Amino acid sequence: MKLNMVGKNIIRVDAEAKVTGEALYPQDIYLDNMVYGKTVRSTKPHAYIKVDIREAEKVDGVLKVFTYKDVPNKNEHGVVLKDHEVFASRKAIRVGEPIAFIVAETVRACEEAYRKIRIDYEELPAVFDPIEAMKEDAPKIHGDSNIIYHYKLRRGDIEEGKKKSKYIVENVYKSPMVEHAFLQPEAGLAYVEEDGTVVVVIATQYPHYDREEVAINLGLPEEKVKIINTNVGGAFGAREDITAQIHLALAAMVLKRPVKVIYSREESFLAHSKRHPMIMKYKTGADENGYLQYMEAEIIGDAGAHCSWAMNVLRKAGVHATGPYVIPHVKVDSYAVYTNNPFTGAMRGFGATQVPIAHEQQMDALAEKLGMNPIEFRMKNIFRKGSITATGQVLVDSVPLDRCIEAVDKSFKFSQLWKEGK
Amino acid sequence: MVDISLTVNDRLYEISIDENMRLIDVLRDELGLIGTKEGCGEGECGACTVIMDGEIVNSCLVMGFQANGSNIVTIEGLKKDGKLHPVQRAYIEAGAVQCGFCIPGMVLATKALLDKNPNPSDEEIREGISGNLCRCTGYNKMLVATKKAMVYMKGE
Amino acid sequence: MDIKKVYMGRSVEEVVRLLGEYENKAKVIAGGTDIVIALRNKVIEPELLIDISKVEELKGIKEDEEYITIGSITTFTEIVESEIFQSNLYGLHKACKMVGSPQIRNKGTIGGNIANGSPAADSVPPLMALDSIVTLLSIEGTREISLEDYYYDSIKENELLVNVKFKKPKDNQVLTFAKLGLRKALAISRLTLSSFIEFDDNIITSIRVASGALAKFPMREKEVEDYLLGKSLNEETIEGAIEALRNSMDERLKGRPTLPYKRIAISTILREILEEALVFEKGVKAW
Repeated sequence: MKLNMVGKNIIRVDAEAKVTGEALYPQDIYLDNMVYGKTVRSTKPHAYIKVDIREAEKVDGVLKVFTYKDVPNKNEHGVVLKDHEVFASRKAIRVGEPIAFIVAETVRACEEAYRKIRIDYEELPAVFDPIEAMKEDAPKIHGDSNIIYHYKLRRGDIEEGKKKSKYIVENVYKSPMVEHAFLQPEAGLAYVEEDGTVVVVIATQYPHYDREEVAINLGLPEEKVKIINTNVGGAFGAREDITAQIHLALAAMVLKRPVKVIYSREESFLAHSKRHPMIMKYKTGADENGYLQYMEAEIIGDAGAHCSWAMNVLRKAGVHATGPYVIPHVKVDSYAVYTNNPFTGAMRGFGATQVPIAHEQQMDALAEKLGMNPIEFRMKNIFRKGSITATGQVLVDSVPLDRCIEAVDKSFKFSQLWKEGK
Repeated sequence: MVDISLTVNDRLYEISIDENMRLIDVLRDELGLIGTKEGCGEGECGACTVIMDGEIVNSCLVMGFQANGSNIVTIEGLKKDGKLHPVQRAYIEAGAVQCGFCIPGMVLATKALLDKNPNPSDEEIREGISGNLCRCTGYNKMLVATKKAMVYMKGE
Repeated sequence: MDIKKVYMGRSVEEVVRLLGEYENKAKVIAGGTDIVIALRNKVIEPELLIDISKVEELKGIKEDEEYITIGSITTFTEIVESEIFQSNLYGLHKACKMVGSPQIRNKGTIGGNIANGSPAADSVPPLMALDSIVTLLSIEGTREISLEDYYYDSIKENELLVNVKFKKPKDNQVLTFAKLGLRKALAISRLTLSSFIEFDDNIITSIRVASGALAKFPMREKEVEDYLLGKSLNEETIEGAIEALRNSMDERLKGRPTLPYKRIAISTILREILEEALVFEKGVKAW
């Protein structure tokens, strides 16, 4: 068979434009008659708000300050649950939540108006610890419970597994919130075409979702909304949720002029999601021969103030909770919980990244109890062709994990050093 | 407003700028040289790197009027007569370009390094680009690209 | 930023005159690596900005019979590339080489590092260990102050930092430096130490030790100096010096959350500067 691509060094199509500086990101686009936007964001994690824009709108060069009152149709959006407000209406639920969008002839006028926006915050008790947030008497972020999602995985019989386990290790692992820090801070433009189509130019991971959301919020048919994806200066999951898209589209539609916004690095940190911090309580047991018998895990993921992909991420964490090991008796409960923290969403690995911190340390701890080389212990228990996972999937195709571990072991001289007591 | 004259990519500009503009604002907003990127605005990421009087600087930390009388090279100045600079060619071939936002600054830092030191060690290459953050590659591809560029530059 | 007027300074005389005229309404800019951020964040809001980056009199490193004088707008790169700091003054080379990134070192200046007053300024501990003198000029005249005292009586609004100078070292004196940052490049110092030691037949006959990021501003570590004076450097005295520094830190940083961490971190950093000095004393270059 002759292959056109495999085994060949393929030059990416946009590489030349990127090394010459010709590649356009949204901040690089300048349009005639363009005006500028600036987002006003909550400085409190949980508070009733009253917004006074009158002085700001009087600033020379300011065209309009948009708030929730100006959103023509629904004020909500979100990839799974519609729990983001385009602009916070009654209550702000996190630091950085958009409250208003100033549009002016110059960036400087935007900044002057920004200083003149008055927000009265009536602060509410806030909750930052997901375990606290799960309690009945915790402050509620949305509705009457902070628990967004509970994923259950059950396989075999835990009591049976415990009986068969001579060695049991029990530990709690915590992983932190992580910022994607893609290099291109969010920026975008919007303008209206002659036939009334609203065009948003932005770097996004989901132009089709963006289109749907913009159309719903603006009360337009989808064919009257166009999303143009420019070069994307890194995303890593953090451009899956809406940031400036709706603000820009709304302003352009109302003002009939091209509107541009560029976030600073600090604002970028405030605007997009983070990686879910997880609290992972693990109990794992093995028999006297070093075979895994059971695993019990409770995983609590902090979703922050908006759901974003919390249920998908916590489901994935639950599904991957055993790691690549055959365990006959498994019980996993994973939860996604609202807090007043920055919201969390997609990030490289999508929930599968956090759990190895727990399951791999459990493997090491068990190997230590058994007095066994941790590599040998893993080799006894790993998935191989034909293994059945805790979710019941039969691995019928290639599972070359044994070869991978052997290669790593050889390269690191791990087993050799372990034998020598190092 | 303040009058300044500066040479950018071999072309002399005599312009009047707002006192509050930084060099990056002058390049992007006044001269339309949008290849220079702003990633952080405080000298941490190096995306705004340009070569000023032979040395790399963060153009977000230089005030526009300070560039009066200076000679500046931006990413737009590397390609000459339709021909890519060896560093540009090497970056493309080595697969060192992903999202591309760090690339203008990274390429200029690499060029400035090789102009000063045509035979850098791996350590010196890493040091030379240590002021430029990249979130996609993990930097090893830049190392490969720089070594390729070293060879190309000697061949010229 | 709301700057009304900018000035491209040509001479010291002219800059000093402008500073005298505008006082708190004016600010001097050289490398810009700190001040541009401060301007953008409105930490300072001057009306007039005076660029001194092209004032010839403030540039370069000069050597005479007695002193080495570094002009205030000398960049970190210029110090790193200077022959003067390749031998027993290597500590200053090392400190300047560890500042920020190549871009920052190409623009950032030694005068700015002092005048900005950061407790973590990398070049200050070695300069302080050298017992440097800072020269400040204003319309009222010239003021010379030791770098150690400078932080108690720092630059005034009408003053221009002209240079920093120190006595040329003797062959049996050596300057060392070590830094703890969170990563190699672009890391603000968590802890820096520098020592300037004179040896006579293995015995420390004079010593100055200065620290960065261990107090409100860089300072001399006199307890360590007192402990080591008259001793030779060996495992026991290095351990003793670490203990002496810990004791004075316990007093100074009482209740600070960073104290437990810095108490541990200090041992590696202090050991590094003393061992480098010891290697020099033995006649082998540590670098």
